Amino acid sequence: MDFTGIHDRLSLIRAPGLLGADLPRKADPANKSLRARAGGPFVSVEAALLPQFLRVCRDDPRLCFEMLVDISATDPSKSATELWVNVSLLSVSARQRLQIKSSVPKQAPRLPTCSGVYPAANWHERECAEMFGLVFEGHPDPRHILLPEDWIGHPLRKDYEYPKTYHGISCE
Amino acid sequence: MSNEASIHGAGEHAAQREFELEVRAQDMEVNFGPQHPATHGVMRVLVRSDGEVVTGAQAHLGYLHRCAEKIGENVEWLMYLPYTDRYDYLSAMNNNLGYSMAVESLMGIRIPRRAELLRVICVELNRVGSHLIAFGTYGMDVGAMTPFFHCFREREWMMALFEKICGARLTYSYIRIGGLFNDAPPGWLEEVARFCDVFEERWVEYEQLLLSSHIFIQRTAGVGVLSREMALAFGVTGPMLRASGVDWDLRRDMPYSIYAEIFAAGAFKVPLGSGAKGKLGDCWDRTWVRVMEMRESIGIVRWCLAHMVEGPVVGDLPKVLRVPAGESYVAIENPRGELGHYVVSDGGRGSIRTRVRGPSFSNLAVIEELLPGALVGDAIAIIGSIDIVVGETDR
Repeated sequence: MDFTGIHDRLSLIRAPGLLGADLPRKADPANKSLRARAGGPFVSVEAALLPQFLRVCRDDPRLCFEMLVDISATDPSKSATELWVNVSLLSVSARQRLQIKSSVPKQAPRLPTCSGVYPAANWHERECAEMFGLVFEGHPDPRHILLPEDWIGHPLRKDYEYPKTYHGISCE
Repeated sequence: MSNEASIHGAGEHAAQREFELEVRAQDMEVNFGPQHPATHGVMRVLVRSDGEVVTGAQAHLGYLHRCAEKIGENVEWLMYLPYTDRYDYLSAMNNNLGYSMAVESLMGIRIPRRAELLRVICVELNRVGSHLIAFGTYGMDVGAMTPFFHCFREREWMMALFEKICGARLTYSYIRIGGLFNDAPPGWLEEVARFCDVFEERWVEYEQLLLSSHIFIQRTAGVGVLSREMALAFGVTGPMLRASGVDWDLRRDMPYSIYAEIFAAGAFKVPLGSGAKGKLGDCWDRTWVRVMEMRESIGIVRWCLAHMVEGPVVGDLPKVLRVPAGESYVAIENPRGELGHYVVSDGGRGSIRTRVRGPSFSNLAVIEELLPGALVGDAIAIIGSIDIVVGETDR
């Protein structure tokens, strides 16, 4: 399954929230603004409609993405105003992969939870929430997963400030 | 409690004593871990039980969190490679390969043929070593001590082989971006061939020792049944997914490196669980899949040895490693499942995001569904059959 195939199908199905596609391409040394894309098809999707989009990806017989492999987020830079949310889907029956990217504003990083569509999203969303400060609305278990419950700040944000002390113990 | 006190007609003191002596049989909460031999690391599972039946389970992670992803943002591309050894320390070669391939996919480097062949040999030997641990310690979890020693005898040789090729026994950093650290020393390939011969002879013992043991079957068959639907919904990958009857192996279905060629030559098959002793997707099936995979890995190593070529082991690399701006997600089949690396570059000396999708993390998430309904005694058998490496769930 080539990339244009999946994207054409998604447009044909009118998958909710589909914004566009990034074709896989090589970086060009002459054109610095052109970014390389490798390792599978990328599409961008509106964050607020992510669960509906994933539901279509899972249930539509032309797509059949049975498995959610990963949800992670990226803070591209200190000055960036948006965080990226990266979702990785896999179809075992159709042998295809899909990388989904959504943007949420750093000021109010809220988006609906996907754990109702794929139970696999539960733990990945908890990790994103503690590491990036994302708020997954409607998440069934919004506790920290890797960090202590009383940890301050979101370590994978680029503007994260390293703690000076933790429970009275110096970290410097 | 107070009802009983009034039935006995005893005073306040008697009621107090009775409360102290009471043995609660309902909804008892038991901690497995953080220091428990069956968690294979430092992990805590809070189990709620009603008598002997587990009614709820909650995994508490993070005891081994070492900020691997944050470190990825703060170091240069090549400097991150030794950190990859340390998340799944039982399959460090696979982690090296996954990370190197993610960076190479952005750079578009061609890997020399000899390096590809040596990579596959190392990765598959490492898979054998990892499954030996999984199999040996699982036997110990359910009460069989002997197979553990047999597994460690073979694993010791495997580690000695790696020590000869890269100087390390556990954290190799041998597979590097662009190729390998160095070529195999003289006589190493011949020794690998000898290892394959001896291993295939001894492999037969595993089935006799554990898989066909009546006690082992009683302990694992029909226990911890993971259905195909649940495995897919929870993003379970690797031997666990195959034990549930899903025919999926990245080495065959989305081939990377030279696996497409090896599979086309018929050097390996993908073993699938069948419910031979109990139900499809039970603990016995998971163990059986791992044991079968060890033999398939030896087949792959043999194919690579037979098709070995001479030549360089490092591709054309610049003096300073610069990765073009872009992003890439590359997944490989680790002994535990899909190991994905999502790297983002802005053209600088280091990555701006290194996301590690570890298979143990998703495989572990399913225990919160698998444990309820099982007996407390089976909880260890179920947790052990998942074959987690806590270094990877916590990263």
